[in-house]
Amino acid sequence: MPTAIDHQTAEEAELARLLVETLHLDIPPESIDPVMPLFGDELGLDSIDALELALAISRAYGVEIKSDDARNKEIFASLRSLAGYIAEHRTR
Amino acid sequence: MTSQNWTVGRERGSRFAIRLMIWLTEAFGSPLGRALLYPITLYFLLTCRRARRASRRYLARVLSSRPGTRDVFRHFLSFASVLYERWLIACGREDEFEISLKGVGYLRALVAAKRGALLLGAHFGNFDVLRLIAERECPVPVRMLMFPVELGPFSAALRQRNSQFLRNVIAIGTPESMLAAREAIARGEFVAMLADRSPDERRMLRVPFLGGFASFPIGPMKLAAILDAPVLLCFAIRTEPGRYEVRFEPFADRLFLRPASRATDLEERVAYFAQCLEAVCRTYPFNWFNFHDIWDDGPSAPKAPVHPDRRTRGRPGAALADRELGSGELVSR
Repeated sequence: MPTAIDHQTAEEAELARLLVETLHLDIPPESIDPVMPLFGDELGLDSIDALELALAISRAYGVEIKSDDARNKEIFASLRSLAGYIAEHRTR
Repeated sequence: MTSQNWTVGRERGSRFAIRLMIWLTEAFGSPLGRALLYPITLYFLLTCRRARRASRRYLARVLSSRPGTRDVFRHFLSFASVLYERWLIACGREDEFEISLKGVGYLRALVAAKRGALLLGAHFGNFDVLRLIAERECPVPVRMLMFPVELGPFSAALRQRNSQFLRNVIAIGTPESMLAAREAIARGEFVAMLADRSPDERRMLRVPFLGGFASFPIGPMKLAAILDAPVLLCFAIRTEPGRYEVRFEPFADRLFLRPASRATDLEERVAYFAQCLEAVCRTYPFNWFNFHDIWDDGPSAPKAPVHPDRRTRGRPGAALADRELGSGELVSR
Protein backbone atom coordinates (compact mmCIF):
# COMPACT_ATOMS: atom_id res chain seq x y z
CA MET A 1 0.00 0.00 0.00
CA PRO A 2 1.31 3.49 -0.72
CA THR A 3 2.28 5.22 2.51
CA ALA A 4 2.21 8.84 1.40
CA ILE A 5 -1.44 9.67 1.94
CA ASP A 6 -2.69 13.06 3.02
CA HIS A 7 -3.44 13.48 6.71
CA GLN A 8 -7.15 13.26 7.57
CA THR A 9 -8.62 16.12 9.59
CA ALA A 10 -10.87 15.25 12.56
CA GLU A 11 -13.98 15.87 10.43
CA GLU A 12 -12.63 13.76 7.61
CA ALA A 13 -11.77 10.93 9.99
CA GLU A 14 -15.30 10.98 11.36
CA LEU A 15 -16.77 10.94 7.85
CA ALA A 16 -14.39 8.13 6.84
CA ARG A 17 -15.73 6.03 9.72
CA LEU A 18 -19.31 6.73 8.63
CA LEU A 19 -18.41 5.82 5.03
CA VAL A 20 -16.73 2.52 5.92
CA GLU A 21 -19.51 1.54 8.30
CA THR A 22 -22.37 2.51 5.94
CA LEU A 23 -20.90 0.81 2.89
CA HIS A 24 -19.57 -2.25 4.73
CA LEU A 25 -16.07 -1.75 3.38
CA ASP A 26 -13.33 -4.05 4.59
CA ILE A 27 -10.75 -1.32 5.06
CA PRO A 28 -9.60 0.78 8.01
CA PRO A 29 -11.21 4.25 7.80
CA GLU A 30 -7.86 5.93 8.38
CA SER A 31 -6.49 4.35 5.21
CA ILE A 32 -8.75 6.46 3.00
CA ASP A 33 -6.69 9.16 1.38
CA PRO A 34 -8.82 12.33 1.74
CA VAL A 35 -7.95 13.50 -1.78
CA MET A 36 -8.41 10.14 -3.49
CA PRO A 37 -11.43 9.89 -5.82
CA LEU A 38 -14.31 8.08 -4.10
CA PHE A 39 -15.78 6.88 -7.39
CA GLY A 40 -13.25 5.15 -9.58
CA ASP A 41 -10.64 2.45 -9.44
CA GLU A 42 -9.21 2.98 -6.02
CA LEU A 43 -12.23 2.85 -3.71
CA GLY A 44 -14.62 1.91 -6.48
CA LEU A 45 -17.89 3.25 -5.14
CA ASP A 46 -20.94 3.14 -7.40
CA SER A 47 -24.26 5.01 -7.70
CA ILE A 48 -25.96 2.83 -5.11
CA ASP A 49 -23.13 3.52 -2.65
CA ALA A 50 -23.62 7.22 -3.32
CA LEU A 51 -27.29 6.93 -2.39
CA GLU A 52 -26.52 4.98 0.79
CA LEU A 53 -23.85 7.46 1.73
CA ALA A 54 -26.13 10.44 1.03
CA LEU A 55 -28.82 8.94 3.29
CA ALA A 56 -26.32 8.26 6.08
CA ILE A 57 -25.00 11.83 5.78
CA SER A 58 -28.52 13.19 5.96
CA ARG A 59 -29.17 11.20 9.16
CA ALA A 60 -25.87 12.06 10.79
CA TYR A 61 -25.47 15.70 9.82
CA GLY A 62 -28.87 16.85 8.57
CA VAL A 63 -27.37 17.64 5.16
CA GLU A 64 -29.57 16.79 2.18
CA ILE A 65 -27.82 16.05 -1.10
CA LYS A 66 -30.19 16.39 -4.04
CA SER A 67 -29.84 14.72 -7.42
CA ASP A 68 -30.23 18.00 -9.32
CA ASP A 69 -27.40 19.79 -7.52
CA ALA A 70 -24.99 20.81 -10.27
CA ARG A 71 -22.07 20.44 -7.85
CA ASN A 72 -22.67 16.75 -7.14
CA LYS A 73 -19.58 15.68 -9.03
CA GLU A 74 -17.44 18.03 -6.95
CA ILE A 75 -19.19 17.14 -3.70
CA PHE A 76 -18.65 13.42 -4.19
CA ALA A 77 -15.17 13.82 -5.68
CA SER A 78 -13.24 12.90 -2.52
CA LEU A 79 -13.51 12.52 1.23
CA ARG A 80 -12.16 16.06 1.57
CA SER A 81 -14.71 17.64 -0.76
CA LEU A 82 -17.57 15.73 0.87
CA ALA A 83 -16.42 16.72 4.37
CA GLY A 84 -16.12 20.32 3.19
CA TYR A 85 -19.66 20.31 1.83
CA ILE A 86 -20.97 18.85 5.10
CA ALA A 87 -19.11 21.39 7.22
CA GLU A 88 -20.71 24.15 5.17
CA HIS A 89 -24.28 22.81 5.40
CA ARG A 90 -24.56 20.76 8.56
CA THR A 91 -27.48 21.43 10.87
CA ARG A 92 -26.36 19.02 13.58
CA MET B 1 -16.17 -14.52 -20.17
CA THR B 2 -19.47 -12.74 -20.60
CA SER B 3 -18.38 -9.40 -21.88
CA GLN B 4 -17.59 -10.32 -25.45
CA ASN B 5 -19.85 -8.55 -27.85
CA TRP B 6 -21.13 -10.65 -30.68
CA THR B 7 -22.21 -7.72 -32.78
CA VAL B 8 -18.90 -5.91 -33.01
CA GLY B 9 -17.97 -5.58 -36.64
CA ARG B 10 -21.45 -6.36 -37.80
CA GLU B 11 -22.90 -3.09 -36.75
CA ARG B 12 -22.60 -1.49 -40.16
CA GLY B 13 -24.39 -4.41 -41.78
CA SER B 14 -27.15 -4.37 -39.24
CA ARG B 15 -27.48 -0.59 -39.56
CA PHE B 16 -28.01 -0.98 -43.27
CA ALA B 17 -30.52 -3.74 -42.60
CA ILE B 18 -32.37 -1.55 -40.09
CA ARG B 19 -32.55 1.32 -42.56
CA LEU B 20 -33.78 -0.98 -45.31
CA MET B 21 -36.40 -2.46 -43.00
CA ILE B 22 -37.61 0.98 -41.99
CA TRP B 23 -37.96 2.07 -45.58
CA LEU B 24 -39.74 -1.09 -46.67
CA THR B 25 -42.10 -1.00 -43.70
CA GLU B 26 -43.01 2.59 -44.35
CA ALA B 27 -43.59 1.86 -48.03
CA PHE B 28 -45.28 -1.54 -47.86
CA GLY B 29 -46.36 -2.12 -44.26
CA SER B 30 -45.16 -4.33 -41.45
CA PRO B 31 -46.03 -7.75 -42.98
CA LEU B 32 -43.20 -7.28 -45.49
CA GLY B 33 -40.89 -6.15 -42.68
CA ARG B 34 -41.75 -9.25 -40.70
CA ALA B 35 -41.07 -11.46 -43.71
CA LEU B 36 -37.65 -9.86 -44.10
CA LEU B 37 -36.76 -10.80 -40.53
CA TYR B 38 -36.29 -14.39 -41.76
CA PRO B 39 -33.36 -13.80 -44.10
CA ILE B 40 -31.87 -11.28 -41.65
CA THR B 41 -32.07 -13.83 -38.85
CA LEU B 42 -30.50 -16.43 -41.09
CA TYR B 43 -27.62 -14.05 -41.79
CA PHE B 44 -26.97 -13.53 -38.07
CA LEU B 45 -27.37 -17.23 -37.39
CA LEU B 46 -24.70 -18.03 -39.96
CA THR B 47 -22.27 -15.32 -38.91
CA CYS B 48 -22.54 -15.16 -35.11
CA ARG B 49 -20.93 -18.33 -33.94
CA ARG B 50 -20.47 -17.28 -30.32
CA ALA B 51 -24.09 -16.20 -29.93
CA ARG B 52 -25.27 -19.34 -31.68
CA ARG B 53 -23.36 -21.48 -29.19
CA ALA B 54 -24.56 -19.49 -26.20
CA SER B 55 -28.14 -19.74 -27.44
CA ARG B 56 -27.83 -23.49 -27.87
CA ARG B 57 -26.39 -23.88 -24.36
CA TYR B 58 -29.18 -21.82 -22.86
CA LEU B 59 -31.85 -23.73 -24.82
CA ALA B 60 -30.33 -27.05 -23.75
CA ARG B 61 -30.95 -26.02 -20.16
CA VAL B 62 -34.43 -24.68 -20.65
CA LEU B 63 -36.04 -26.97 -23.24
CA SER B 64 -37.18 -30.47 -22.42
CA SER B 65 -35.49 -31.96 -25.48
CA ARG B 66 -32.08 -31.37 -27.04
CA PRO B 67 -32.16 -28.11 -29.03
CA GLY B 68 -31.62 -28.25 -32.78
CA THR B 69 -30.63 -25.54 -35.24
CA ARG B 70 -34.33 -24.88 -35.73
CA ASP B 71 -34.64 -23.89 -32.04
CA VAL B 72 -31.61 -21.62 -32.22
CA PHE B 73 -33.10 -20.01 -35.33
CA ARG B 74 -36.36 -19.46 -33.47
CA HIS B 75 -34.48 -17.84 -30.58
CA PHE B 76 -32.62 -15.49 -32.96
CA LEU B 77 -35.83 -14.72 -34.87
CA SER B 78 -37.65 -13.92 -31.65
CA PHE B 79 -34.88 -11.47 -30.75
CA ALA B 80 -34.92 -9.81 -34.18
CA SER B 81 -38.71 -9.58 -34.01
CA VAL B 82 -38.63 -7.87 -30.65
CA LEU B 83 -36.18 -5.27 -31.99
CA TYR B 84 -38.45 -4.77 -34.99
CA GLU B 85 -41.48 -4.42 -32.76
CA ARG B 86 -39.69 -1.92 -30.54
CA TRP B 87 -39.20 0.13 -33.64
CA LEU B 88 -42.89 -0.23 -34.61
CA ILE B 89 -43.82 1.08 -31.15
CA ALA B 90 -41.44 4.01 -31.51
CA CYS B 91 -43.26 4.82 -34.76
CA GLY B 92 -46.57 4.94 -32.93
CA ARG B 93 -47.94 1.78 -34.52
CA GLU B 94 -49.28 0.60 -31.16
CA ASP B 95 -52.61 -0.37 -32.70
CA GLU B 96 -50.85 -3.22 -34.50
CA PHE B 97 -50.33 -4.90 -31.14
CA GLU B 98 -52.59 -7.05 -29.06
CA ILE B 99 -51.60 -6.80 -25.42
CA SER B 100 -53.21 -8.68 -22.57
CA LEU B 101 -52.64 -7.74 -18.95
CA LYS B 102 -52.10 -9.82 -15.87
CA GLY B 103 -51.63 -8.48 -12.35
CA VAL B 104 -52.09 -4.86 -13.36
CA GLY B 105 -54.20 -4.52 -10.19
CA TYR B 106 -50.99 -4.50 -8.14
CA LEU B 107 -49.82 -1.49 -10.09
CA ARG B 108 -53.13 0.32 -9.78
CA ALA B 109 -53.29 -0.30 -6.03
CA LEU B 110 -49.88 1.33 -5.60
CA VAL B 111 -50.94 4.29 -7.72
CA ALA B 112 -54.14 4.66 -5.68
CA ALA B 113 -52.11 4.60 -2.46
CA LYS B 114 -49.68 7.11 -4.01
CA ARG B 115 -46.82 4.75 -3.27
CA GLY B 116 -43.82 4.78 -5.52
CA ALA B 117 -42.36 1.39 -6.37
CA LEU B 118 -39.43 -0.34 -7.98
CA LEU B 119 -40.26 -2.45 -11.04
CA LEU B 120 -37.77 -5.23 -11.77
CA GLY B 121 -37.58 -6.69 -15.23
CA ALA B 122 -35.07 -8.67 -17.27
CA HIS B 123 -33.70 -8.81 -20.81
CA PHE B 124 -36.85 -10.68 -21.49
CA GLY B 125 -39.61 -10.11 -24.01
CA ASN B 126 -40.09 -6.48 -24.94
CA PHE B 127 -39.43 -3.88 -22.33
CA ASP B 128 -40.92 -1.13 -24.47
CA VAL B 129 -44.28 -2.89 -24.42
CA LEU B 130 -44.00 -2.99 -20.66
CA ARG B 131 -43.20 0.69 -20.53
CA LEU B 132 -46.11 1.42 -22.85
CA ILE B 133 -48.54 -0.42 -20.57
CA ALA B 134 -47.08 0.98 -17.36
CA GLU B 135 -47.42 4.48 -18.79
CA ARG B 136 -50.95 3.80 -19.99
CA GLU B 137 -52.03 2.34 -16.65
CA CYS B 138 -50.22 4.79 -14.41
CA PRO B 139 -50.90 8.49 -14.21
CA VAL B 140 -47.41 8.82 -12.76
CA PRO B 141 -44.09 8.76 -14.64
CA VAL B 142 -42.24 5.46 -15.04
CA ARG B 143 -38.49 6.08 -15.01
CA MET B 144 -35.99 3.63 -16.44
CA LEU B 145 -32.64 3.11 -14.78
CA MET B 146 -30.23 2.09 -17.54
CA PHE B 147 -26.51 1.63 -17.96
CA PRO B 148 -25.14 4.08 -20.52
CA VAL B 149 -23.74 1.13 -22.49
CA GLU B 150 -27.30 -0.08 -22.99
CA LEU B 151 -28.17 3.07 -24.88
CA GLY B 152 -26.55 1.97 -28.12
CA PRO B 153 -27.13 2.90 -31.76
CA PHE B 154 -30.49 1.15 -31.89
CA SER B 155 -31.80 3.29 -29.03
CA ALA B 156 -30.43 6.34 -30.79
CA ALA B 157 -32.35 5.36 -33.93
CA LEU B 158 -35.53 4.92 -31.90
CA ARG B 159 -35.06 8.26 -30.24
CA GLN B 160 -34.49 9.91 -33.57
CA ARG B 161 -37.82 8.51 -34.73
CA ASN B 162 -39.61 9.45 -31.52
CA SER B 163 -38.14 12.11 -29.27
CA GLN B 164 -40.39 11.01 -26.41
CA PHE B 165 -38.84 7.58 -26.46
CA LEU B 166 -36.14 7.74 -23.83
CA ARG B 167 -37.27 10.85 -22.02
CA ASN B 168 -37.64 9.04 -18.71
CA VAL B 169 -34.27 7.35 -18.61
CA ILE B 170 -32.01 7.83 -15.61
CA ALA B 171 -28.45 6.87 -16.59
CA ILE B 172 -26.68 4.67 -14.04
CA GLY B 173 -23.10 5.46 -13.15
CA THR B 174 -23.01 8.95 -11.70
CA PRO B 175 -23.19 9.75 -7.98
CA GLU B 176 -26.63 11.25 -8.44
CA SER B 177 -28.33 8.48 -10.51
CA MET B 178 -29.74 6.65 -7.52
CA LEU B 179 -30.52 9.87 -5.70
CA ALA B 180 -32.74 10.70 -8.67
CA ALA B 181 -34.37 7.26 -8.42
CA ARG B 182 -35.07 7.77 -4.74
CA GLU B 183 -36.53 11.23 -5.30
CA ALA B 184 -38.80 9.80 -8.04
CA ILE B 185 -40.09 7.08 -5.73
CA ALA B 186 -40.63 9.62 -2.94
CA ARG B 187 -42.87 11.53 -5.38
CA GLY B 188 -44.93 8.36 -5.86
CA GLU B 189 -43.43 7.53 -9.27
CA PHE B 190 -42.23 4.17 -10.56
CA VAL B 191 -38.63 3.29 -11.24
CA ALA B 192 -37.91 0.31 -13.49
CA MET B 193 -34.66 -1.55 -14.00
CA LEU B 194 -33.40 -4.77 -15.52
CA ALA B 195 -32.11 -7.07 -12.83
CA ASP B 196 -30.60 -9.96 -14.77
CA ARG B 197 -27.36 -8.41 -16.02
CA SER B 198 -24.75 -5.83 -15.09
CA PRO B 199 -21.71 -4.55 -16.93
CA ASP B 200 -19.79 -4.86 -13.66
CA GLU B 201 -18.91 -8.46 -12.93
CA ARG B 202 -17.62 -7.59 -9.50
CA ARG B 203 -21.07 -6.64 -8.32
CA MET B 204 -22.65 -9.95 -9.15
CA LEU B 205 -23.43 -13.05 -7.13
CA ARG B 206 -23.46 -16.62 -8.35
CA VAL B 207 -26.81 -18.22 -7.64
CA PRO B 208 -28.58 -21.34 -8.91
CA PHE B 209 -30.16 -20.76 -12.31
CA LEU B 210 -31.52 -23.33 -14.78
CA GLY B 211 -29.62 -26.25 -13.33
CA GLY B 212 -26.27 -24.52 -12.88
CA PHE B 213 -24.79 -21.43 -11.29
CA ALA B 214 -24.96 -18.05 -13.00
CA SER B 215 -24.04 -14.52 -11.94
CA PHE B 216 -26.79 -12.03 -11.21
CA PRO B 217 -26.35 -8.40 -10.20
CA ILE B 218 -26.62 -7.53 -6.55
CA GLY B 219 -27.40 -3.84 -7.16
CA PRO B 220 -31.15 -4.07 -7.76
CA MET B 221 -31.71 -5.87 -4.45
CA LYS B 222 -29.48 -3.46 -2.56
CA LEU B 223 -31.31 -0.57 -4.15
CA ALA B 224 -34.71 -2.06 -3.24
CA ALA B 225 -33.57 -2.40 0.38
CA ILE B 226 -32.25 1.16 0.55
CA LEU B 227 -35.34 2.62 -1.12
CA ASP B 228 -37.59 0.71 1.27
CA ALA B 229 -40.30 0.71 -1.39
CA PRO B 230 -42.52 -2.07 -2.74
CA VAL B 231 -40.97 -4.16 -5.50
CA LEU B 232 -42.90 -5.64 -8.42
CA LEU B 233 -41.63 -8.04 -11.05
CA CYS B 234 -42.67 -7.22 -14.56
CA PHE B 235 -42.41 -9.05 -17.87
CA ALA B 236 -43.80 -8.27 -21.31
CA ILE B 237 -43.93 -11.76 -22.78
CA ARG B 238 -44.09 -12.07 -26.54
CA THR B 239 -46.50 -14.92 -27.21
CA GLU B 240 -46.89 -14.46 -30.98
CA PRO B 241 -45.89 -11.83 -33.53
CA GLY B 242 -47.43 -8.58 -32.32
CA ARG B 243 -49.02 -10.25 -29.31
CA TYR B 244 -47.86 -9.78 -25.75
CA GLU B 245 -48.86 -10.71 -22.27
CA VAL B 246 -47.78 -8.11 -19.76
CA ARG B 247 -47.41 -9.43 -16.25
CA PHE B 248 -46.93 -7.72 -12.92
CA GLU B 249 -46.21 -9.81 -9.84
CA PRO B 250 -45.39 -8.77 -6.30
CA PHE B 251 -41.76 -9.48 -5.44
CA ALA B 252 -41.48 -7.88 -2.01
CA ASP B 253 -43.56 -5.34 -0.15
CA ARG B 254 -40.42 -4.21 1.60
CA LEU B 255 -37.05 -5.70 1.05
CA PHE B 256 -35.44 -5.67 4.46
CA LEU B 257 -31.87 -6.79 5.08
CA ARG B 258 -31.17 -7.71 8.68
CA PRO B 259 -27.90 -6.01 9.69
CA ALA B 260 -26.59 -9.21 11.26
CA SER B 261 -27.22 -11.31 8.16
CA ARG B 262 -27.08 -8.70 5.44
CA ALA B 263 -24.91 -10.71 3.06
CA THR B 264 -27.00 -13.89 3.24
CA ASP B 265 -30.23 -11.91 3.03
CA LEU B 266 -28.98 -10.19 -0.11
CA GLU B 267 -27.89 -13.48 -1.62
CA GLU B 268 -31.29 -14.97 -0.85
CA ARG B 269 -33.08 -12.15 -2.67
CA VAL B 270 -30.77 -12.38 -5.69
CA ALA B 271 -31.37 -16.13 -5.77
CA TYR B 272 -35.11 -15.59 -5.50
CA PHE B 273 -35.06 -13.22 -8.45
CA ALA B 274 -33.14 -15.82 -10.47
CA GLN B 275 -35.76 -18.42 -9.55
CA CYS B 276 -38.58 -16.12 -10.71
CA LEU B 277 -36.75 -15.54 -13.99
CA GLU B 278 -36.12 -19.26 -14.37
CA ALA B 279 -39.84 -19.99 -14.00
CA VAL B 280 -40.81 -17.55 -16.75
CA CYS B 281 -37.91 -18.76 -18.97
CA ARG B 282 -39.15 -22.33 -18.68
CA THR B 283 -42.62 -21.31 -19.84
CA TYR B 284 -41.46 -18.89 -22.54
CA PRO B 285 -37.91 -20.02 -23.42
CA PHE B 286 -37.59 -17.93 -26.58
CA ASN B 287 -38.23 -14.68 -24.72
CA TRP B 288 -35.02 -14.44 -22.74
CA PHE B 289 -32.32 -12.72 -24.75
CA ASN B 290 -29.08 -13.87 -23.37
CA PHE B 291 -26.50 -14.58 -26.02
CA HIS B 292 -23.59 -15.08 -23.64
CA ASP B 293 -22.67 -18.30 -21.93
CA ILE B 294 -23.23 -17.17 -18.37
CA TRP B 295 -23.04 -20.50 -16.61
CA ASP B 296 -19.91 -21.34 -14.78
CA ASP B 297 -20.49 -24.54 -12.90
CA GLY B 298 -17.55 -26.77 -13.57
CA PRO B 299 -16.47 -28.88 -10.62
CA SER B 300 -13.58 -26.53 -9.90
CA ALA B 301 -15.64 -23.35 -9.95
CA PRO B 302 -15.92 -22.16 -6.37
CA LYS B 303 -18.75 -20.04 -5.09
CA ALA B 304 -17.67 -16.40 -5.00
CA PRO B 305 -15.15 -16.46 -2.14
CA VAL B 306 -15.49 -12.77 -1.38
CA HIS B 307 -18.99 -11.49 -1.05
CA PRO B 308 -19.22 -8.53 -3.41
CA ASP B 309 -21.03 -6.56 -0.76
CA ARG B 310 -17.95 -6.62 1.45
CA ARG B 311 -15.36 -4.97 -0.63
CA THR B 312 -11.72 -4.35 -0.21
CA ARG B 313 -9.79 -1.51 -1.60
CA GLY B 314 -7.54 -1.52 -4.62
CA ARG B 315 -9.21 -4.22 -6.64
CA PRO B 316 -8.32 -4.62 -10.26
CA GLY B 317 -10.75 -3.44 -12.87
CA ALA B 318 -12.27 -0.16 -13.80
CA ALA B 319 -15.04 1.87 -12.27
CA LEU B 320 -18.63 1.05 -13.01
CA ALA B 321 -19.15 3.93 -15.38
CA ASP B 322 -16.16 2.96 -17.47
CA ARG B 323 -16.97 -0.71 -17.83
CA GLU B 324 -18.19 -1.72 -21.24
CA LEU B 325 -20.46 -4.60 -21.84
CA GLY B 326 -20.17 -3.87 -25.52
CA SER B 327 -21.34 -1.09 -27.70
CA GLY B 328 -24.08 -2.97 -29.48
CA GLU B 329 -27.69 -2.50 -28.63
CA LEU B 330 -28.28 -6.01 -29.89
CA VAL B 331 -26.53 -7.39 -26.85
CA SER B 332 -28.12 -5.21 -24.29
CA ARG B 333 -31.76 -5.80 -25.13
